[in-house]
Amino acid sequence: MNVTRRAFNLGAILAAGTVILPGAVRAADEKTIAIMFDSLQSPFWVTGFDVLKEKAKAAGYQPLESISNLDDNKQFEQVQSMIQKKVSGIIIVQTDSKAVIPAIREANKAGIPMVHFNRPPAESDAKSSAVQADNRAIMKSTVQALVDKARKAGGKYKAAILIGDLGDQNAIQRRDGFFDVVDQNKDIIEVVARISTEWNPDKAFADLTNALQANPDINFLVTSSDFLLPQIQQALKIAGKWKKTGEEGHVLFAGFDGDEGQYAALKDGYMDVGGVQNLFYEADLAIGAIEKMNKGEEVPKLLLDPGFVITQETLDQDRDKMWGYAVWKKANG
Amino acid sequence: MQTSSTRASLAVLRSAPALLFVAVVVLFAILAPRFLEVQNFANILTQSANVAIVAVGMTFVLLLAGVDLSVGAAMYVCAAVAGLYFKDLPAPAAMALMTAIGALFGAINALFIVGLGIAAFIVTLATLFVGRGLALHLSQTKMVFAGDPVLAFGQGGFLGISYAVWTMAIVLLLALWVQQWTPYGRYLYAIGADREGARKAGIPVRRVVFATYVLCGTLAGLGGFVSFSQVAAASSGFGLQKEFPVIAAAVLGGTSLFGGRGGVLGSVFGAILIQTVQNGLVLLNANPYLYPLVISAIIFIAVLLDSQRTRILARLTRRQIRIEPGVEARRSTAT
Repeated sequence: MNVTRRAFNLGAILAAGTVILPGAVRAADEKTIAIMFDSLQSPFWVTGFDVLKEKAKAAGYQPLESISNLDDNKQFEQVQSMIQKKVSGIIIVQTDSKAVIPAIREANKAGIPMVHFNRPPAESDAKSSAVQADNRAIMKSTVQALVDKARKAGGKYKAAILIGDLGDQNAIQRRDGFFDVVDQNKDIIEVVARISTEWNPDKAFADLTNALQANPDINFLVTSSDFLLPQIQQALKIAGKWKKTGEEGHVLFAGFDGDEGQYAALKDGYMDVGGVQNLFYEADLAIGAIEKMNKGEEVPKLLLDPGFVITQETLDQDRDKMWGYAVWKKANG
Repeated sequence: MQTSSTRASLAVLRSAPALLFVAVVVLFAILAPRFLEVQNFANILTQSANVAIVAVGMTFVLLLAGVDLSVGAAMYVCAAVAGLYFKDLPAPAAMALMTAIGALFGAINALFIVGLGIAAFIVTLATLFVGRGLALHLSQTKMVFAGDPVLAFGQGGFLGISYAVWTMAIVLLLALWVQQWTPYGRYLYAIGADREGARKAGIPVRRVVFATYVLCGTLAGLGGFVSFSQVAAASSGFGLQKEFPVIAAAVLGGTSLFGGRGGVLGSVFGAILIQTVQNGLVLLNANPYLYPLVISAIIFIAVLLDSQRTRILARLTRRQIRIEPGVEARRSTAT
């Protein structure tokens, strides 16, 4: 069969059109949101990633995901790639609050809204919004609930706090929330150990073991993050203090985050109070902020999640609001 | 000739790490009443075990004038593999597995360093990133939990001494034997002091360097096992920047970064000193902002004393040329 040049060109154009057009039409119809995390290093981030993807889908967006493995340069390239894909918005968890600013500027230039999830950026003229748990307020309510239990039980308490990385604002706010309350209750609580964990489980375990050795009468313990629970359990076990509420030698214990470890520790009676970041609400805030910015509405620089406090007594009624319970349920059936 | 004051200052500088340790112990004993308790020293030894074990391997590498920046990454890879795929292994099998993975990691380093002649700093920096990337990929950046047998190792002991301390002691004794009484130990010092001279003297330099990096990886795997058994879980921060306390322990113990000088006993001692300071600060309920300042100040003092010692030793060992009185007179007559 002889094919003329004109027929060949026409055929090629038709074939290309057949392949490209449906994709182009689909791309025009399909709204996408970039969900860009720096790592999934604790259950909080793993669940946050999943919840954001589900919420984005529920709002009619196709989520495009990326993980930078704590590499700011890589994340900047990933942001550029998402901008190329003309996403409707970017939800980002950056490693460094300053290093993310060039990425915000790139998004601003492209007119793509950016929301920081749980870690606000450093001050700059670049325009974006951040969703964050009200760490200080949640920690205050959590420690207050633990103090109430201490007062109810009576007696004097020797307290220890596991502080996070001193360069991390979340950690500092949680520490300040702790001291806001204990400083008002010095008549029954004496802080005998301020353990700087640097968010390092190795260090948390060693220093808590040392603190328990130096102060065997520690009976009031607060951790700034639930992700240290395996190490806390180990250290308390070695000290013979991993006891349930009501058992001899039980340590009044509060967690922070609301992960599945916190749920299990509350359910089993080892933990008394937990501060919970309302991850579902934070995800709604993030998607809502993207939609508002796309409509040209003003969105505050910082959107706060007030979180909530959960105790052994309120566990059954409030656990459905707790993201860690969803994770626990999935794992345990 | 050495003057008595030079001899005295040299003696002080020679025992500087030990004097520093005594000063730290006395200071904390005065300030924190519970510091001197036997159980507290047991805690210090147990907690310093993982760094000390890795520091032994690092010392051998440093003696060669090399460096291994990938030890922390090797620890993480070992823990991730053991926790993800071999969680129910008995503790000795898990220990063997993790040391084997560490050895493999070390062999990869050695292959590039010896086989391709690439600088150790570059190779191990690359394997640091590759190792962490691999472990993050395997674990999907999620926390990996140790199995019950491994946890039992972390909590258990024999004759009232934790298994971690026993492991550290066995490693130290074996390493001391290797360092002091085997040809391999002597080769390390010879190669570190003068690589070309060692090669000309018939020392199998390439083989020794290869074996040393494998040994360093092996001990990183073993240190990873000890750490994993203690902290119960490995998150993405496991082993992160572990190379710094490990190298600091070796330097604190008197091992030179330029090779040919030092030893494993000092490195284990250095690891214990760092942990003692950390422990004392916790016992004092010190302001957390002070921790890095105090620890870095002690490392700085140790390194400063070490450099002074090196300077004085160099001055004392410099060849003294003494001209006999008669020689000068004969020279002038001849001319």
